[in-house]
Order: sequence, then structure tokens, then C-alpha cells
Amino acid sequence: MMLTYRLRLLLAVLAGLACACPALAGDAVRIAVPAAYTGNVAAYGDNIKAGVTLKVEEINAKGGVGGVKLEALFLDEQCEPREAATVAAKIVQDESVAAVIGHLCSSAHLAALPAYIKAGLPALSPTATNIAISEKNKDKQGETWSFRTIYRDDFQGRFLARYIARVMGLRRVAVFHDMNDYGLGLAEAFQAEARSLGLTVTGVEAYLKGAQDFTAQLTKIKAADPDALFIAGYSAEGALIADQAAKVGLTVPKFGADGLDNEDYIKIAGPAAEGTFLTAPFLAEAAGPEAAAFIDAFKARFKRDPDYMSANAYDATGLIAGVLANTGPARDKVREALAAMNSKDTAYFGVTGPTFFDHNGDCQKPAFVKTVADRKFVAAPLQMAHDD
Amino acid sequence: MLVQQLVNGLTLGLLYALIAVGYTMVYGVIGLINFAHGEVFMLGAFLCVSALGIGLPLALACALSVGACAAIGIAIDAVAYRPLRAAPRLAALITAIGMSIFLQNLALVIWGSRPRPFVREALPAFFGQTAFELYAVRVNGLQVVICLVSLALMAGLHLFIRRTRAGAAMRALAQNRVCARLMGVSVNRVISLTFALGSGLGAAAGVLTAIQYNSLTPTMGYNAGVKAFAAAVLGGVGSVPGAMLGGVILGVAETLGAGYVSSTYRDGVAYAVLIAVIVLRPAGLLGQNGAAGRDKA
Repeated sequence: MMLTYRLRLLLAVLAGLACACPALAGDAVRIAVPAAYTGNVAAYGDNIKAGVTLKVEEINAKGGVGGVKLEALFLDEQCEPREAATVAAKIVQDESVAAVIGHLCSSAHLAALPAYIKAGLPALSPTATNIAISEKNKDKQGETWSFRTIYRDDFQGRFLARYIARVMGLRRVAVFHDMNDYGLGLAEAFQAEARSLGLTVTGVEAYLKGAQDFTAQLTKIKAADPDALFIAGYSAEGALIADQAAKVGLTVPKFGADGLDNEDYIKIAGPAAEGTFLTAPFLAEAAGPEAAAFIDAFKARFKRDPDYMSANAYDATGLIAGVLANTGPARDKVREALAAMNSKDTAYFGVTGPTFFDHNGDCQKPAFVKTVADRKFVAAPLQMAHDD
Repeated sequence: MLVQQLVNGLTLGLLYALIAVGYTMVYGVIGLINFAHGEVFMLGAFLCVSALGIGLPLALACALSVGACAAIGIAIDAVAYRPLRAAPRLAALITAIGMSIFLQNLALVIWGSRPRPFVREALPAFFGQTAFELYAVRVNGLQVVICLVSLALMAGLHLFIRRTRAGAAMRALAQNRVCARLMGVSVNRVISLTFALGSGLGAAAGVLTAIQYNSLTPTMGYNAGVKAFAAAVLGGVGSVPGAMLGGVILGVAETLGAGYVSSTYRDGVAYAVLIAVIVLRPAGLLGQNGAAGRDKA
């Protein structure tokens, strides 16, 4: 307790310095990138930072934005709503910041939104998938201030139902979901789509975050004899579910969304992780030719394969830089330009495909499927055509 | 499916029971709820994995972990509770909570917050995979091991308390501390022994839980501790057989609740059983009104 408090104090001081210093410099246009750079999900923040850094370096190597350098300010909020609100209040006061790329987590994004809306600062999240953001991102005039380069949770649920039915040809699905907003939202969207596709939902079970024993629910699920198991939750519990499913003799393929997409899932579940299929917004192996240069550059710069967060952050940075080059750093003009990107003709073409926004700031992005083979995430052999 | 759920519930319940015994022994002897007990359970799991990590064989790692936790139990008592033996009970309760927070954060600093798996390679093959099936009831080797080890440990403990001189001294202390001292019982030594035994059993439960669920986090002691505490209360706090019975009832109630009522209310069902028992029998299933007697002492 004491330690986290001290850490926070230190971070708050550092964040304060980070905000204060660039104001002294002059000729650069800045974007704030609030995410978790310490704490439980610091690994995710690191991915975001890598994607943004790579794009900013590329842009500045080509002369910057409208003749001035582009600078990214990486501000730590640990994916904590409370910290995010504090960081957001600092960001809006820094007048050199033209736009925000973030936040990383939906809960943090929702907590920070009121500050951005009130101050009139547009935000573009590369990773926040919660559906509530679509409703809470508008000012009193109904103008949208928050956009995202990622699909929503309900899309993932529907996508997985279609993948199970059309690509895998499975008919009987069981749903096991976390009792939080994320798990419930995913499970509801999944079930609705599954039923409309004629699949049989053999059972819907729930668990609480932090639970360890899932054998009771899994025994019940197994008794209904499904041929697919949808795990709507995060990797910590998802890995235990996969492991215990194997122990109770439930060996059907498992499906999950971005919540399971974490190395910890494989590390904890071990052999039981094999035969899991996940949605991913970007897959190096399945990406189009336009992504090849990005993947090479990323590998050369960071000595690892790019993940979807880095790819989305890379595209979000490119998108914002493009807008800034056209409109200049005035915040309200940036927002207008983002809102005007509302069709395929006005879309930004990046490594994750075309990005354009609907009235709620949401975008239609393709999803890919990855699976676990030999203790590694790899592209699933069968992908779904992206026509719908 | 009912028999299968009973097997699941029994495995879970015996693990609860093994932890609950530690709560109940300490309460029986010094009338204190040792809230740091859940953390000892967690440390047992982590120490075992760390011992495996430096290449020790499984049996040695388990023994080391149990031994180390017994020592930690004695140290917790010496540092946090012994100086407050004569103080009001509330003071010791607060240090117990403080100890729990301290140990949890210590584990966070040492092992980090990300969940880690048990060292799978160290486990005999029959633990996880080889399940034997009887009329569609599936029991894996690990469940058998958990049941046998828990039952053996608790039977051993029961014999120890009933049949040895040290056990008699513990019982004497539980009945009346002042009187026991007058009869020549070394009070602090017996209390240390109680903490060592309870903590050792807690560590064993931690190791078994870590193997069964294959995941360790510094916060794992909290949930387990709350459930085990409830089990101890259900069985009658202060009563060792009561803790065993309470653990099994809680585990089975939880599993059947999830299997037949609704998985959303899994813990709700377990605690409803607890409330019902406490309302009907305030001292718990096997509890005597020992607490009242001790207050007079």
C-alpha cells in the first residue's frame, strides 16, 4: 500500500515535469499519449509507446508536420480511472497539445473524457473497446470529441459467433463470462448473433473476477455437450478456465476476444491453451502488403514482432499527423477534421486497413483470428472474409 | 453430474478445511483471529514454486515450504501478537490485519503482481492428465492426492491434539490459560507450536491449491482466507473437527450452488448456508460456547 502510494507520488511529480518542460520549448506540435507505463498492464503501455514512437520518428525524418516537429508526450495513468482523470486535467492545460492518442483502457478513457470534452480537446484511442464510450463522448451540442481506431466489444462478440458458425462449422456453443461490463457486453452480443445464425447456446455461466475454481460451472457446461466454448473475460481467469476445462474433460475449441490476448494466457494455461481462437485487430502474418514496411521497421527498431496495439497506435499517430498537417494545431479544427472522416473516401489508409468514423466516433475495422500452437500465438489457418 | 459436482466440491472443501484448521487452532488457543493466515497460505505456494525454480525436487520443495511457513507462523506470533498478549483483543486484531497487508505487499515486491503458473515439469504425470472414470464421473490423480493428503494431515493433527502431551497442553491452554500456566504448561512455547502447526498446514494447502489451479498471485491469500475463515465459523471456531466439516460443507455448497442454482450466485449460496447455520447454532456446528468461558479467564 505504502509503496504504491509513494510510486504514485513520484509518478505524479514526473508527469508534472513532463507537462511543464515542453511548454518551454517552442516550435513543435504535440500529442499527448496517456496510457499505463507502470503497474499491472505496463506491457500494454509499452506496446502503445513503441507504435507511436516509430510513427513520430518516421514523420520527423520526413520534415515533421507542416514544417514543425511532431512530439509525443507519454503520460502514465496506470489504466486507473482516478489517475487518468488527473492526467487528463493536466493535458488539457498544456496548450501546446493539439490532440490526445489514448487512453489505453476503456475505464481510464471514460474517466478522462469529461475533461477533454469540457476543454475541447479531441482524443483518439487505439485500444479502448467499451461500448459506453460511444454515448459518453459528446458535448452539449452533440459534437463527438472522442474517436477510436479499434472496433467495439459488441463487434468482437458478433464476429466470433460468425466465425464459429461459418468458418469452423460448429453448432453448439457454451458461454462462460466474467460478471463485469466487458464480459457481459461480449457475451450478450455473442449470444444474439449466435441465435440469429441458428446456433444452439447450450448454457450461459458466469464467474467473478479473481475466482480460482471454475470446475463447478465447467462440469455443468460439459454436461450440456457443447462443441465450442466462448470465454468472455480476461487472461488471468481465462487461463484457469482453459486449464480446468481440460481437467474436467471438456476438450472443445475455446474462443475469446482481446481480453485473452496476452502471453500470460499461454504461460498459465500451458498445454490447455492449445485450440484457443482469439480475435485480433492486426496480425503480422495476415496483414496486407502495406503493412510489410511497418513490420520490418518495427522489428528493426524494437527487436520484436509488432502486436495489434502497436499497429493501432502507429496508425492513430499517422492519422492525427495527417490531420494536423492539413488543419494546423487548433484543437477544434482537429476535431472537425476527424469528424469529417466519415466515409471510405475520406478514410485514412494505414497498416491496419482504412479507418473512418461514424457519428459516434466508432470505426469499422477488420478482425483477424489467431490461435495457439506450440505455446505461441499464430494466425489461425482459416480467416474470415472481411465483406461484412 | 451430481456425483461429479460432489467430487469437485469435496476437493475444494478439503482445501478450505486445511486452511480453516489454522484459523481455528490459533483462535482456540489464544482467542485471536489470525488474519495473516491467508498470507501464510500464499507464501507457502510461492516458496514452493521458488524452491522448484532453483531445481529442488518436488517433495523437498514442499517440505521446505511447509517448514519455512511454520517458522514464519512462529515469527508472526512473536513480532505481532506476543507483545500484545495482555492488551485488549482489538489491538491484536489490528496488528493481524496489518501483518496481512505487510505480507501481501512483501510478496508483491518479491514476486511481482502478474500471475505465475506452478512448475508443471516438476509434477508427476498422473497428477493432471490421467483421469480415471467411473460411471461418467471423472476424477483426476491430483484430486485424489488432494483428498488423501488433506485427510491424512487433518487426521494426523487430530491424533496429535488428542494423543500427545503437547496436544494436551494445547487443549489445556484453550480451556484456561492461567490455570494451564499454574499446572506447568509453558504458555509461549505451546502458542508457538500452535502457530507452527497451523501455518504449516496452511502452507500445505497453498501448495496443493497452486498445483490444482496452477496459478499464483500475491493476492490469492485474501479470497482463500475469507472462505476458510467462513468455514471455521461454520464449523464452530475453536473446534478442529468443526473446521474440517465446515470446509467441506462450504466447498460442496458452493459447487452445488454454481451447478444447480446459478453460477452468478455461487458464493452467495455458500454464504447463505453459513448464515443459516449461524442463526440456528450461533456457536457453529461443532462449536461449544468456549468463547464465553474464555472471556471469564
